[in-house]
Amino acid sequence: MLGNHIKISLRTLRRNRTFSVINVLGLALGIAIFLLITEYVAFEWGANRFHKNFDQLYRASTFTADADKGDYYLPPGYAPTLKNRVPGINEVVRVAEGVGSGLVIVPGTNGSTAGNKSFRENKVSFADDNFFRVFSFPVIKGSTSLAKAQTMAISASIAQKYFGNGNPIGQVLNIKNQFGLTPYTVTAVYEGMPQQSDIQADILLSYKTLENAAFRNGNNWADPNGLGSGYTNIYFMLNKGVDLKLFEAQATQVIHKAAPDAAKATLAFQPLRNLHIAPSFSYHFQTYGSLVLVVSFLSVALLIMMIAWLNYINLSTAQALYRAKESGVRKVLGASRMQIVGQYLTETAILTLISIVIAIVSVKLVQPFYNNFLGKELSLTVLNQGRFWVGGITVVFTGCFLAGGYVAFMLSSIDPLKTIRGKAAITIGGISLRRSLVVFQFTTSVILIISTITLYRQLKYMQTQDLGMNVQQRVVISGPSTLSGSQRDNTLAFENQLRQLPYVQKLAASNNVPGEGYNFSADGITRLNANVGDDKKSYAMLIVDDKYFDTYDIKIKAGATFTPQMLEQGWSKTHKIIINESAAAQLGFKNTENIIGQKIKWDAEFEVVGVVKDYHHLSLHEFIRPMIFLPAVAHNYFTIKMDTRNLAGHVSQLKSIYEHSFPGEPFTYTFADESFDKQYNAEQKLGNVFMASAGAAVFIAALGLFGLATFAARQKIKEIGIRKVLGANVLNIVTLISADFLKLVAIAIVIASPVAWYIMNKWLQDFAYHTSIQWWVFALAGSIAVVIAFVTVSIQSVKAAIANPVKSLRNE
Amino acid sequence: MLSLKNISKYYQAGGNKTYVLNNVSLDVDAGEFVSIMGPSGSGKSTLLNIIGMLDEPSEGYHYFMKEAVHQLKEKARSALYKEYIGFVFQAYHLIDELTVYENIETPLIYQNIKSSERKALVADMLDRFQIVGKKDLFPAQLSGGQQQLVGIARALITKPRVILADEPTGNLNSKQGEEIMELFRKLNKEDKVTIIQVTHSEKNAEYGTRIINVLDGKIDSSRNV
Ligand SMILES: Nc1ncnc2c1ncn2[C@@H]1O[C@H](COP(=O)(O)OP(=O)(O)OP(=O)(O)O)[C@@H](O)[C@H]1O
Ligand SMILES: [Mg+2]
Repeated sequence: MLGNHIKISLRTLRRNRTFSVINVLGLALGIAIFLLITEYVAFEWGANRFHKNFDQLYRASTFTADADKGDYYLPPGYAPTLKNRVPGINEVVRVAEGVGSGLVIVPGTNGSTAGNKSFRENKVSFADDNFFRVFSFPVIKGSTSLAKAQTMAISASIAQKYFGNGNPIGQVLNIKNQFGLTPYTVTAVYEGMPQQSDIQADILLSYKTLENAAFRNGNNWADPNGLGSGYTNIYFMLNKGVDLKLFEAQATQVIHKAAPDAAKATLAFQPLRNLHIAPSFSYHFQTYGSLVLVVSFLSVALLIMMIAWLNYINLSTAQALYRAKESGVRKVLGASRMQIVGQYLTETAILTLISIVIAIVSVKLVQPFYNNFLGKELSLTVLNQGRFWVGGITVVFTGCFLAGGYVAFMLSSIDPLKTIRGKAAITIGGISLRRSLVVFQFTTSVILIISTITLYRQLKYMQTQDLGMNVQQRVVISGPSTLSGSQRDNTLAFENQLRQLPYVQKLAASNNVPGEGYNFSADGITRLNANVGDDKKSYAMLIVDDKYFDTYDIKIKAGATFTPQMLEQGWSKTHKIIINESAAAQLGFKNTENIIGQKIKWDAEFEVVGVVKDYHHLSLHEFIRPMIFLPAVAHNYFTIKMDTRNLAGHVSQLKSIYEHSFPGEPFTYTFADESFDKQYNAEQKLGNVFMASAGAAVFIAALGLFGLATFAARQKIKEIGIRKVLGANVLNIVTLISADFLKLVAIAIVIASPVAWYIMNKWLQDFAYHTSIQWWVFALAGSIAVVIAFVTVSIQSVKAAIANPVKSLRNE
Repeated sequence: MLSLKNISKYYQAGGNKTYVLNNVSLDVDAGEFVSIMGPSGSGKSTLLNIIGMLDEPSEGYHYFMKEAVHQLKEKARSALYKEYIGFVFQAYHLIDELTVYENIETPLIYQNIKSSERKALVADMLDRFQIVGKKDLFPAQLSGGQQQLVGIARALITKPRVILADEPTGNLNSKQGEEIMELFRKLNKEDKVTIIQVTHSEKNAEYGTRIINVLDGKIDSSRNV
């Protein structure tokens, strides 16, 4: 029976080629997109789960009453403090991410310093000796322990970069960072950390090293037993069956006792499995990935899948007129209803299988482009994680079989008498069902189109909004990694040399730059007569020189920029600051004119020498923060406003000057506008995904419409013939067929608009600065849908309209 | 073998019942060849469909092979007709997707007959109707008469005791029609198949052993030939 079903199915599918192709195309495209998006979702979901012990691993965070999210940069002393005093801890491991970044000097092969190579590395972390025991990062060579001071582990790619195929184990590298120049011995090489790990380090230095004050270079905040400065992440491997609530309470108590300063904060432990994607929208721990993104992607995937299924139902039931006769005859010949259902289900199964195969092949083909654009290493094998493929297959198959089953039951319910009489026209599931399906498909498409347009408009808005400063044509050179006494003079000399160059129009030094971040945040800053609670307000601090404002075209509203003397003395001695308008407002100043010369209390008293207009130091996701600028001979970044003609030549000259001024320091530069734009990568990606999805949705919906129009034209072929004989022209006929469908699209637009408006309005609320949704967006989305629908339908209706009527009538 | 007692069929139109068949009683014995005639719309097809259990009467008693059809459940009824009845239609109603061979084979599949046995039966039938050469053609590739031949072959493949034919020659020219009628006569005489046909042609009706005239949903007359 099954063999027979398959044979007949194949033949039917071949005979109704147009319908089969449209059906398969729609399904395959839907499934392909569904698979691609599910890959991404599985990848995000699977983050950090590759650790053997992930179920027992937690990251500690502190929560204070006024902060919305937990803080996971904790004082390293918490680890030893908790380890022995709270029951239930199996292992504790500290990872101070990026804290060791700086210059790595690799000795030359001949032992002389002349052969030294140096590399700037910014993923250099400190880690405890049990790091490789707790986490499942495979060690390829050497020991897994970082127990000794001045030992290090390097990733395989770093090993390749430094030593080629040579053996790195036992080699001594000099690392020059904020803790001075320290030699470290390589004890291990580990496999590169996978993209699915939120812990990322190219080099791990033993935490033990920092116990020796000599290796801290005066940075005593970094003391591994310190309970004051929070800069390290602490991971806990808890015993199985630990009561987390109780554990958190005990840990909090222990910390309060050991560090009375921390009394405001409570300690909480975030499961490693939730480190990347929050389990709910109201999650209070920080996460690396975005639940919103995952959920929106997943919804889009399901929507597209749904459109594809509806297409299937739509096209299949539309054929009922032709299939009904067959079903009727089969019944008369003795077929049971189940046998007829079996026949149709076989057809569905074959179509589904073909579609799945095509979808998988397409996924393989577009995978490189997709990965490139998401910046992730995705593949179908990702679906192995967390049995995502089970879910995926279930969704795909259930959907197809619900759709197929529906069609089968509808078609098998036909009363054979009707077909045999051949009188009553047979419509299955009713015209209204097909109409609702078309409306639904186009509603979804229009929502996706509106969302896409809005996404891009917001992106454009953020990119073109007046920032209150200028990042165009600014080249940013990274400064030397550390600054010893002589290098400070080098810095000034370097700046002087640059100023002589004809194409350097402006030059500033600062310790951070727009788009990157601030230097630190601080509270406890108030006016002399402060109100209660003023000391809790937070300010973003940025260390800059006197040229910073001019170089970035930041307007000085009152007062003046710093003087060279202030820079020379540094902010901790000169006690002078510049603030922005928001800071002035937060401090409680009413009129900016009076601010100059006023004193601000921040432990000591600081004098305000200038007020600058607010500008967007970071992206438009965030509100402009109250900022305080501190004077210093800064050296982290040199921003040059330059004539960008002959850029290559200029850059090579800058490079040689730099390398001359700071021997052994690699020269790296960026464009300020590009770095600033990087902050919108997430929106760019989301926009691209939505664009692709909207395109696919519209395409599938159009396929469905094409199929229905084909059907309508066929069904009305006699009517069209008669009308033509009676004198109707092509336009009359096209209108006759098209008007009906365009009406459906119009209804879809009406339904889609408010829904899209609601969703996008919600989405926009997440941005501190956002565009508004204009009426023309709806008009545009609607027009796109109408035009596509019209073109689709016209292809068929014109064909029907120009056909020779005599032919169709004779056939009847 | 077949007996209709006071069968009526009506449709509810507005508040009124319109009778298509009105109190019809009819007995057909095994081995008869009955021709049903009557003007268009008189209820011939309805009568035939009720006999064939494709349609249900509104009122009355229906016995077939000593079974009270009017009391049978859907399943039992379809089992009954699967076993004993074969249909031939004016519009042939072959399945377009199937070849001649497969069309004839289809009823056997629904009776769960083994593939080897099916092959033998269909081959026999093709032989008997002299359409072996056409077995791999699709219905669209055949003339009307050939299609009807296939339709009859398909009806006969399950060895039914009764053939019900609704204007089997309606779409054929007179020569093709004659051939079909000769075939029916032969089936009736040699194979003892009971045949009930609806026809508009006086000449074709004469092939039967009895001619029934239907008028306005009633049997107007009945005569043996
Ligand atoms: N579903 C229905 N609802 C109402 N009336 C119906 C229905 N089906 C059939 N009829 C009516 O029943 C009557 C008998 O129909 P039937 O098909 O039996 O006629 P017939 O004798 O076979 O005619 P013809 O020679 O044209 O085939 C007709 O008047 C027809 O209009
Ligand atoms: Mg009739």
